[in-house]
Amino acid sequence: MRTKAPISGALLFALAIVMSCRSSETSDRGSVVIYTSVDAVFARPVAERFEQDTGIRVQLVPDTEETKSTGLLNRLIAEKKRPQADVFWSGDPVRAAILKLQGVSAPYKSPVAESLPVRFSDPEGHWTGFSARARVLIYNRDLVPEAQKPKSVMDLLDPRFRDQACIANPLFGTTSMHAAALFAVLGEEKAKAFFEGFAGNGGRILSSNGEVRRRVANGEFALGITDTDDANVARIEGKPVGMVFPDAGGMGTLVIPNCAVLIKGGPNPELGRRFIDYLLRPETEETLARSAAAQMPLRSGLSVPEGMVSIQDFNPMKVNYIKLAQILERLSRGFLKDWVNQNL
Amino acid sequence: MISCLLLERPGRWRIFGVAGLLSIAMLPSMPLLWRAATSFDAGTFVIGEAFSSALFNSAVVAFTVMFIALVVGLPIGVLAALYHVPGKKPVLVLVALPLLVPSFLWAIGWSALAARWGRTASEVLSGFAGCIIVFSATGIPLVLLTAFIVTIGLSASQVEAARLAGGERVVFRQALRHAAQPALLAASLAGVLTLSDPGPGLIFGLRSAASDILTSFSALYDFGQAGQQCVILAGVVLLVATPLAYFAAPWLATQVMPRQLLAEIPVRHRGSSFAAIVALLILVAFGILLPVTGISLPVIEADAEFERSLSEVGRTWANTLIYALGAGAMAALLGFLLAFFVGRTTRLRTVCLGICIALFSLPPALPALGLVQLAGEAEAWMDPLLRSRLTVCLALGLRFFPVAAVLGLQAWAATSSSWNWAGAIHGVPLTKYLRKVVLPFVSPTLALAVFLVGLLATADVSTVLLLHPPGQESFPLAIFTVMANAPESLAASLCLLYVAAAGGLLILVARFLNIQESL
Repeated sequence: MRTKAPISGALLFALAIVMSCRSSETSDRGSVVIYTSVDAVFARPVAERFEQDTGIRVQLVPDTEETKSTGLLNRLIAEKKRPQADVFWSGDPVRAAILKLQGVSAPYKSPVAESLPVRFSDPEGHWTGFSARARVLIYNRDLVPEAQKPKSVMDLLDPRFRDQACIANPLFGTTSMHAAALFAVLGEEKAKAFFEGFAGNGGRILSSNGEVRRRVANGEFALGITDTDDANVARIEGKPVGMVFPDAGGMGTLVIPNCAVLIKGGPNPELGRRFIDYLLRPETEETLARSAAAQMPLRSGLSVPEGMVSIQDFNPMKVNYIKLAQILERLSRGFLKDWVNQNL
Repeated sequence: MISCLLLERPGRWRIFGVAGLLSIAMLPSMPLLWRAATSFDAGTFVIGEAFSSALFNSAVVAFTVMFIALVVGLPIGVLAALYHVPGKKPVLVLVALPLLVPSFLWAIGWSALAARWGRTASEVLSGFAGCIIVFSATGIPLVLLTAFIVTIGLSASQVEAARLAGGERVVFRQALRHAAQPALLAASLAGVLTLSDPGPGLIFGLRSAASDILTSFSALYDFGQAGQQCVILAGVVLLVATPLAYFAAPWLATQVMPRQLLAEIPVRHRGSSFAAIVALLILVAFGILLPVTGISLPVIEADAEFERSLSEVGRTWANTLIYALGAGAMAALLGFLLAFFVGRTTRLRTVCLGICIALFSLPPALPALGLVQLAGEAEAWMDPLLRSRLTVCLALGLRFFPVAAVLGLQAWAATSSSWNWAGAIHGVPLTKYLRKVVLPFVSPTLALAVFLVGLLATADVSTVLLLHPPGQESFPLAIFTVMANAPESLAASLCLLYVAAAGGLLILVARFLNIQESL
């Protein structure tokens, strides 16, 4: 009796080994491996449609929130010499730019991308931008009357929102990109003053944009900065939140396009290119616009849900995404790291 | 024919064996440690004021969790083992649940609950308090189960002698003393485990060494700096672990005596049984029900999305089981091999314990990214080893190998040397002796090692994220990849399903190991 458990365990382990080795076929002629930092709930339906339309199998590897574990970008960098992925579908251009800087990506200018605005893509074709999110102010309508709703990110420093404002950790994700954009647009001094003023006004750093959405929606904070997809999810859930595209008359709202990146030396480059072509089609932009992420198409004139704010309806911040990646690297080692250390 | 006396023979072969096994455990971390060494620059060395203060915060959390886990887990574990407690098995299964769930899930639960209670509650939970509560939820079960297992290992004659000498109070005191050292070791492992986990620190706003290392990986993509920080962390842990290992090593050498083979049977004692069940229920309420309530609030307020969640379970359950079992088997194999090489050598045992505890403090990303890099440099024919589900099992097994090593050292040292001598005198070949005598004796501990490592490995999302072959996710990973921006009701449904599946898995494993017999 006493030896039964280990014997059964050994048998199960042997089975596991057999199954493990079988699973080593990571990609064959008919499959394409996609790493993505776009939320799985939004990326998977697109991948499944691609499978149905083309018969090519997609092996999707989605990311987790970077503030809770070491993410996929590290895996791509570590796999650089013999990658497993064919394509990286990035949720923002800074990650894509980092891959270019690290020598992980390969140039590919898709013919489908000709109708997309060039300012959201890498001029050398290492990444191509499509459907976008934006960095918006989210506020709790029960706590902030319509007449007093914020209009600028600078309102986070307003004394009427003392101890009432929150942002996600600016070392990670789209918040880090937004921080770099503020430094690029406002200049070093004003951007530093913004962060110091935010902390001085009792602003809080939370773990993620999702957390900003939850805690503003619950009324724990009056306002915060998050992404449009987060704000839209709160709206769908019926939470008492409002959304503002900030700084319409000033520096503008930061736009965060999705980016398709072909991985250098990937196992199936041809299928990877086909997937990128599929992603960049107007139909994919329409699908993402209709999803809960409510991603704004970069092309004009596409069919989108009624009432959806399009990129032509607000003032997009004018930034060079490649420069943002360089600014971000400097800030993450210097000012931002120190600021988070002091205020977390 | 090799004699059984080999097991008692000292020699350099033991040192070489131990060094070889510890090298295997270190192997996945070597690529990044090498990069840390080659990128070392005394001018910009990372142990500045910022990392020192993060390290200090981590140490405070680790020691507090150690203390709480010991003070709460030890007496409850002893009480539960000594006395008849109604519904003991399901309650113990529930108590073990936090071991199977990544800590940041509990942190999210507490955070959500505090948000409902108001700003003051959130303020109270922010920083040290939240982190300590969440990590204690894992630490207490680890100590409690260790104390429980050690106490049920007491012989009936030992317990009876204590009872005759001074009644229940003496029985309890002696059992506490008996279980104290292993419980301290378990508490240390729980404390060390907090050092490599950045989730709760980031959620509750506490700077920790783990969050600094995560920043180096995920914000700076600087593997060299992350590697240097890991080395510093492991060095500090080694300093603290060495005296602990020195004191714990002799306990691990307690040999079993023939007269001790009749196990102690839990007795009915009104006061003690009542105290045990009340304590266990408080633990379940505080450690599980409250955070689960926090997680499930969105499901109460909106429609649950269990159908979609169930499809995730269907897609991932097999991988989850393979990763858990594979990791458990791998860790147990290495742990017991280490025990074989250490034998009864106290000095080797001390060294191994210290190194195992230090290894345990390394963040999972270090070996995982090291393996990814190794695989990238290797030839394609190595993929079945370096890029498959077996790789995930290997990495998880090596990460949690210290747990199996501690159990293995204890089980091996408990074998009686007189058995070896008897075997040698009667000319029993070593292989037959190992198969017929040693394996049946250590098999319960072996199974326990597989079980414990399997539980801990299931909760490790980082390793699986970085190493799983495309399309071969585990269920915890599937949950955490949809949690970020999914509607709250879907995220909550998935989390609830995960907690339920974890509970179900625990019950299955408990049945598999036939734990009922021990209760």
